[in-house]
This record gives sequence, C-alpha cells and structure tokens, in this order.
Amino acid sequence: MSDTTPEYSGAGHHGGTMDIVRKGLAKRKRKQAILQGIGIAAIGFSLTVLFILLASLVSTGYHAFTQTHVEIEVFVDPEEISEENLPRGGFRNVLSNSLGQYFPESDMSDRAEARVLSSILSNGAQFKLRDMLVEDPSLIGQTISLTVPTSDPYDQLNKGLIDRATPEEFRRLKDEEIENFDTLSELGLVSKPFNAGLLTNADSRFPELAGLKGALVGSFWALLTCFLISFPLGIGAAIYLEEFAPKNKVSDFIEVNINNLAAVPSVVFGLLALAVFIGWFGMPRSAPFVGGLALALMTMPTIIIATRAALKAVPPSIREAALGVGASKHQVVFQHVLPLAMPGILTGTIIGLAQALGETAPLLLIGMNAFITSAASSPFDSATALPTQIFIWADSPERGFVSRTSAAILVLLTFLITMNALAIFLRSKFERKW
Amino acid sequence: MYDNLKAESALETKDIKFSAKKVQVFYGDTQAIKDVDVDIEDKTVTAFIGPSGCGKSTFLRCLNRMNDTIDICRVEGDILLDGEDIYDKAVDAVQLRAKVGMVFQKPNPFPKSIYDNVAYGPRIHGLARTKADLDEIVEKSLRRAALWDEAKDRLDTPGTGLSGGQQQRLCIARAVATEPEVLLMDEPCSALDPIATAQVEELIDELRSQYSVVIVTHSMQQAARVSQKTAFFHLGNLVEFGETDKIFTNPEDERTESYITGRIG
Repeated sequence: MSDTTPEYSGAGHHGGTMDIVRKGLAKRKRKQAILQGIGIAAIGFSLTVLFILLASLVSTGYHAFTQTHVEIEVFVDPEEISEENLPRGGFRNVLSNSLGQYFPESDMSDRAEARVLSSILSNGAQFKLRDMLVEDPSLIGQTISLTVPTSDPYDQLNKGLIDRATPEEFRRLKDEEIENFDTLSELGLVSKPFNAGLLTNADSRFPELAGLKGALVGSFWALLTCFLISFPLGIGAAIYLEEFAPKNKVSDFIEVNINNLAAVPSVVFGLLALAVFIGWFGMPRSAPFVGGLALALMTMPTIIIATRAALKAVPPSIREAALGVGASKHQVVFQHVLPLAMPGILTGTIIGLAQALGETAPLLLIGMNAFITSAASSPFDSATALPTQIFIWADSPERGFVSRTSAAILVLLTFLITMNALAIFLRSKFERKW
Repeated sequence: MYDNLKAESALETKDIKFSAKKVQVFYGDTQAIKDVDVDIEDKTVTAFIGPSGCGKSTFLRCLNRMNDTIDICRVEGDILLDGEDIYDKAVDAVQLRAKVGMVFQKPNPFPKSIYDNVAYGPRIHGLARTKADLDEIVEKSLRRAALWDEAKDRLDTPGTGLSGGQQQRLCIARAVATEPEVLLMDEPCSALDPIATAQVEELIDELRSQYSVVIVTHSMQQAARVSQKTAFFHLGNLVEFGETDKIFTNPEDERTESYITGRIG
C-alpha cells in the first residue's frame, strides 16, 4: 500500500488508470481466492461429515454381515420326534441332547444345565430342524449334520463385542456359558459365514434371525405404488401447466401451491393418508399400498417441478420448427418436446423416488412400523419398509440390533446411491447438446 | 387514376399471393407494426429489410400465424392469402402452416434422422399413403434443397450431425416437403458462412420457380442479389415497397436512402 501510493500520485492527472486497475486487480484476486477457499472448505466439511457417518455405520454395521454359526451332529431321536406328529415334536430336546454329546461331563438330565447349554443355539434352530424333517421325514432316526446360528449373546462373544475381562456380574454371559462356547470353538464347530439371512429373513424378535426381506419387499411395493401414481399424474399435471394452461392468476396460484406442497413436512402427508385412505376409505393399516399413496402425494410436487423445468429447457427453436411445418400443439408436445425432456423428467422422478424410499414419517403414521415376521406377498398385506425397519431396530434393546440397524442403514444407502447414480447416468447418456 | 395504373401493372406481372391491409401488431401495449399494406406476389422473392427491431420479422411471422404462440401478441387488420383471411376464425393455423412453410434464422433440425426430419411434415399431414410415396417425397424435397447428393447415403444419421449450411438446407427440405405455396425465411443465412450462404441463395433463386418466397435479411447485398421485390421497414412502418432494383438505385423515401447508404440502421 505504502509503496504504490507515491507511484500513483506521481503518475500525473491522467496516467493513473493502469495503477488504479492494478490496485483493484490485487483486491479482485484476493476476493476470488477467499471465495474459492470458502467453497473448498464447505466441500471439505461435507465430505468429512459424510466420511464420519459412513465410517461409524460401517464400523458398527459390518458385524451384522456375518453371523456366528455352530455345526452340530444331531441324532434325530424317534422317541422325541415321530413322523405322525410332525410338524410337532420335541425338537428342543433333540437339539440339547445332541449338544450334550460335546460336553461329556455335563448332565443333560439336569434341566437347568440343559437350558444353559441349549441357549447357545438360536431359537431358530428348532424351526430349521422342523422344516428339514417336514420336508424329508426319512431323516428321523438318523444322525444329521446341522449348521445353525448361535443366539445373539454368543454371536456378540464370538465377534469380540463382549469383553471377557468384565466382572461376571456385569457381563451378559456368565463364565460357565463362555466356557461352553469355548469348548465348541476348540472343537472347530464354530464358523462365521456371510449372513445371508440379513437379506433373506423377515423381521424377528431374535436379532440373529432378523433380516430385511420384509422391509425390502414392503419398500418395493410402496415405491411401485408411489411410482405408478405419482409419475403419470405428475407428468400429466406438469405438461398441462407448462404447455396448455393459460397463464393467469389461477395458474400462478396453482404454481405457488405446488411449490409449497413440495416443502410440506412429510408427516403431514402421513396424517392425510391416515385420515383419508385409512379413515374414510377403510384401506388396511400397515399396507405398502397406503404407504405408497402417501409417498406419491409427497413425490408428486417434486416430479411436477422437475418435469416443468425439463419442458422449459427444451429450446424454443424445436417448438418453432415443429409448428412451422404445421404440427398441432399436442403433436409438438408429444412428438418433440416430451421426448427431449424425458432425461430430465426421469432424473427428477428418480430423485423423487429416492427421497420417497428414505421417507419415514408418513409410514410411521399409517402403521408400517408394525412387527411383521413375514414378507408381504401383495401391496395390501401388512409390511414394514426399510426406513421404518431401521426405526424399529434402533428402538430394540438387544445388542444384536445395534449392528443390524447400521447394516440396514447401509443397505438403504446402497439403494439410494444406486438410484441417484442411475439418475446421473440417464442424464449424461441422454442429455443433448444444442 | 393512379390506383388504376397500379392495378393494371399488378395484373400484368403476377398473381398476388398475400395481400396485407392495415396490419397492426401489438405486444401487450407496445405497437410493433403500424398500418402495413403490402402485396406479395406469387413466384417472386420478396425481401424485407430494415434496421433491427423495425418489425420485419414480426410481420413475417404474421404471415403463417407464428405469432399465435406468443400470448401477449395481438394482430389487427387483414392478411389475405389467395383472397382468404388467414386470421379468420374458420382458418386453422395448422392447415395454414402446411401451406405457408417457414425456415428460421438458426438451423433447427429435429434431433432425428435426416429422413425423419424431411418426412415429418408429410407424415403428420398424411401426404404419403405408402412408404414408397414417402421415400419419393423425401428424395424430391432433398433434391429441391440441393442436399440429396450429400445426404443420400446417410439418411439414417441424425440431422443435427450435419454442418451448419447443410442443416439449413435440411430445414429448407423439411419446409418444402409439405408442398407449401409460400416459403417464409427469417434471416436464413445469418448463422452461415459465405459458402453456405451462397448455396442457400442459389437455392432461393431456384425455389422462386415454384413458390412465393419471403425473406427477411439484414444483408442488403443479399436482398439485392436474391429478391425481385423489396420492402423497407422502419420503426414498425412499411416505408417503401417496390422493385428491388428501384429501391436500391432510386429510392423514393429519404429514410430508405439513408438506410441503404448506411446512414441509419
């Protein structure tokens, strides 16, 4: 500053222009550098937050992608299980007796001791045995090899989530139980394979059996309903408003309301769905169809806004070209404008659907957070959805659900990333350069 | 006496295609065209010249009712095509535009194949009954637009992949494919290089044998080269209209002379 001042004052009454520009230039460059710095800092901050989110999800969630199993030789005792009584039988006894063979010093006739031992196995083990025998009754009387999940505490133990150094009275598993598990472990019967059940099982009270199938199917039905309703209605409304509606106070009023609707909290749409679809029309509770309707109400403004923007972006020269050869208004719209706007429309729709996929509040209000242990076979059956399943699991006290909640979030994020990537792919593939 | 002479001379030359009387055009409250009277002859190239914003494009767009698409635009007065008022309620703009084709300032082929670009008009108007008919129309139109030799081997490739000059000729082919009677051209060469311009100008001269061509241009040389009649617009008024030679060599109005000699515009 001080060294440029004399130069400037000495430049005479008309020669100072370059100096003024030079001084201003430094200021302009500084401003630009500051602006860029702020931008980079903002992006850096968002990336850090994203990284922390993903890191915390992965660090807790990865446990849920494996599941501790034990492989035991099971003698299917004909005294406990007979073909006539299937599917009833003493499956639990058969399993605990079979487990007893690995613990020669324990007395399986002591019910307390037997209960402690069989607590290693998941409750699902007896159902698995039952299903095998119902399918093939000839196995009765034979010895079969059975690989079943362990119950949640032992799974936690195997994954190192239970600290053996904790005093026994504060520990989830007693010393005796840990010893039992270690015995099986030393015999090489414990394995930790990929937990396919996370995707193929429906919800369960027992974390080791709980999976996302019900939620995935529920989300699929809800999203399908949402798409089938919001896509045609949204595009239809957008085409009418953008291309055919007279521009007057009424259409301005509608436009303001649509923009407003896009910002209405989703819980309001949930309340609306509860009052109208369930209350008045008597549709079933917890059904993905009703969920889809609520989500469609929410997604439609997004689709309308995206479609209008895409229609507006089609260059007027194409409309003129078509009008110039004598195309009628609807021919211009449907043969020229709409196909050119389609990539933009699809991008907007996919982003709207991705938003709908992650939406929780309206589904909670229509009861899609119920405890449902089977996957819905139609959109009218009770079901949960991915976000509500996360909500349910996050609320469950069992330790196993902690990692499963994170895993479910990761699955949801995977779907969201896939959908958004698809939107970007469509946009770049079909975007036209003018 | 003077009127009679004028009528006789008109009869002697050619049929009148468009006859505009007291045409006024408003955009909202602003008047873009004031009391324009003009007769456009058949099989003649008529050039509209004038400084920017003088209303020549606006008037051109009245001739095929392209201004209908602008909500705030209002046209008053009579424009007769073959004696019929084109702004009559009974006249359908779609039908009119099949009869009065248009070529725009910027080449605007559809993002479709060359074939589909040309075939689009005949298809929507149902001019071809069979595929062979359509092929014939496409070939004829492309030939007429002097594009056939360059395009015949690549009819399936996108029209947007052609060069600028070729694109403009494709647009001309598309416009003539519906067999219009009048061809309106809104500065058709302003986005083209001199070689492409020369090709298009040559084409305009050939098209004159079948159509009445109305061309808006900023280039006075172009108007002088391609047109037989010239109309000079200034501030929404039709200042002078007559034989091109006369306008350029011996204009009656002072403003025309100023414009042509480069003093205004």
